[in-house]
Amino acid sequence: MDLSYLWTGFSVALSPMNLLIGFVGCFLGTMIGALPAIGPINGIALLLPIAYTMGLPAESTMILLAGIYSGAEYGGRISSILLNVPGDAGAVMTALDGNPLARQGRAGEALMISGLSSFVGGILGVVGLTFFAPLLSGLAIGFGPAEYFVLMIFAFATLGSMVGSQPVKTLIGCVIGLMLATVGLDATSGAYRFTFNEPELGDGIEFVVLVIGLFSISEAMLMLEHQASGGSIIKIAGRTFARWADIVRCTGATLRGSVIGFIVGVLPGTGASVASAVSYTTEKRISDRDGTFGKGDVRGLAAPEAANNATAAGAFVPMLTLGVPGSGTTAVMLGALMLYNIQPGPQLFAERPELVGGLIASLYIGNVLLLIMNLPLVGVFSRVLTLPNWILVPGILVLSIVGVYSTHASMLSILMMLGIGVVGWLLRKLGFDMAPIILGFVLGRVMEVNLRNALAISGGDLSILFQSTISIVLWIMAAAVAILPFVLSWRARQVKATAPQLLS
Amino acid sequence: MTTSTGPRGAVRSDRVGAVVLFALAVLYGLDASRISYSFSSDPLGPRVFPLILAGVLALLSLIYFFRPGSSEPWPQGRLLASSIAIPGLVLVATLLLEPLGFAIAITLLVTGVGRIFGASWRFALFAGIVQAALWFLLFRYLLEVYLPGGSIFGF
Repeated sequence: MDLSYLWTGFSVALSPMNLLIGFVGCFLGTMIGALPAIGPINGIALLLPIAYTMGLPAESTMILLAGIYSGAEYGGRISSILLNVPGDAGAVMTALDGNPLARQGRAGEALMISGLSSFVGGILGVVGLTFFAPLLSGLAIGFGPAEYFVLMIFAFATLGSMVGSQPVKTLIGCVIGLMLATVGLDATSGAYRFTFNEPELGDGIEFVVLVIGLFSISEAMLMLEHQASGGSIIKIAGRTFARWADIVRCTGATLRGSVIGFIVGVLPGTGASVASAVSYTTEKRISDRDGTFGKGDVRGLAAPEAANNATAAGAFVPMLTLGVPGSGTTAVMLGALMLYNIQPGPQLFAERPELVGGLIASLYIGNVLLLIMNLPLVGVFSRVLTLPNWILVPGILVLSIVGVYSTHASMLSILMMLGIGVVGWLLRKLGFDMAPIILGFVLGRVMEVNLRNALAISGGDLSILFQSTISIVLWIMAAAVAILPFVLSWRARQVKATAPQLLS
Repeated sequence: MTTSTGPRGAVRSDRVGAVVLFALAVLYGLDASRISYSFSSDPLGPRVFPLILAGVLALLSLIYFFRPGSSEPWPQGRLLASSIAIPGLVLVATLLLEPLGFAIAITLLVTGVGRIFGASWRFALFAGIVQAALWFLLFRYLLEVYLPGGSIFGF
């Protein structure tokens, strides 16, 4: 296999400038993850416009954002364990066993074990990315417009089936995102669509405006209502080194969590929240013989932590090779690449080895940096838990204003950011997730263009969408994924019906 | 917290949400059918994809209406007013950004939002001045992002 892109990448990622940027990203990411209210996607949304305005080259921006992404997956465990308030959905499972451990006076050990399993998950995920991405990219070279269109259908089927507990709301979110993407000039026909004669809307809705509105304005509004729930912070006391026996006991859980996390990461749209939930429930089924899960079992802590870090790496696979983000956070990063006029796809490996390789190499370096930051320095990061919201929220808002103002200094951008923020807040109150909207938005143009190109090739004959083997396989996969939840709930009912006899 | 809507309230707000989304689908579809173009190099043209989206959203919002899920209770009274005040303060701060400059606008924003999040006047004002200064130094000198100095001061 040709891994020369990786060596190019290391020479990019090891340049002093990019090392510094990677370090800053990992540091900020860990802090953002440790903050009880915000997670990787908020951090990336806030810092993306600033990196862009500073004129960083695309690969440096990607290295910064990738550092924030992986850092936040490490840092998320700190607030879950010490405060029982996960920073984002991906860290919810970590709290289930992590917080009981901390309450037993074993906070230091819990942080070390979860730090180690984060590292193993992160590194295994990057190794998977290194080998799997070129393979998939080679396969995807054969994709034509029809295959791409069906691939998008598969992506949305996966999202609706696996993300969140309310599939209708997830799918509505996707459609809203797709609709937002249709605003502006249609390149094929030269028609202006949904611009309401506003010249500024001719280029479409600005990505930065949408992302900041959804992930920081609405977040700030929501934090006001959620702030009363805070519990007490547990001090890191007792031994800070985990028992060797515990580390050994976690090996299986960590490895299984890493594999599950990577696979879920590769699936389009499904990120850390799905990965950590699947790995926790799997581990519980495999290892929980004495009913210790949920009461402070180290394996219940290691599995989801390995999983969410492996996901962060796995999510780059479809993003870099197919242009389909593997998680909500990579969807924002895909939008960042589009700001640089880079459309990720199978050609990216051949055309921009310094970008792809630099990003992947920075993930190796970043995971090592993060292990160092997160083991001895965990006490430093746990300080941010005491940061009051009356300092944090205004800070988020300042970054939002500077981000939007510096990329598009216009009143309409600010008004749209606020309008989108308020609508996002309303939707979140109704139980909608914001990530599907961003996924729909970044995939919208590609989906429509490929559908139209496919039909232009066939002269309007719809059967082109079902002709090639790849499209048929993708249709079958989409159908299988869509049926999956029904099968699972049917099986769960069957098990429930037979379980009482078995247990008694 | 001053919220009192139970599960029935959640179903009701889901129903309202579904109706609004259905209306959005209809309006979007109507606007899509009126897109004017003279020529398109593909058989679909610029109208069909949006029309499909409108149809899908209409269908999904019907499902949503008849099978509502779970949602959060709505804030009421002061909490609601404070929630709305957050984007309001951001708007005021951006309006003041060019005439009064970054430092003053941000001091006002941080102080105001700090008050909403329960800081005392003294702490909020202190945080406002400190944050305005720190952000200004960070952006202006370390990250080299342009920020308005304030036109009334001649910057």
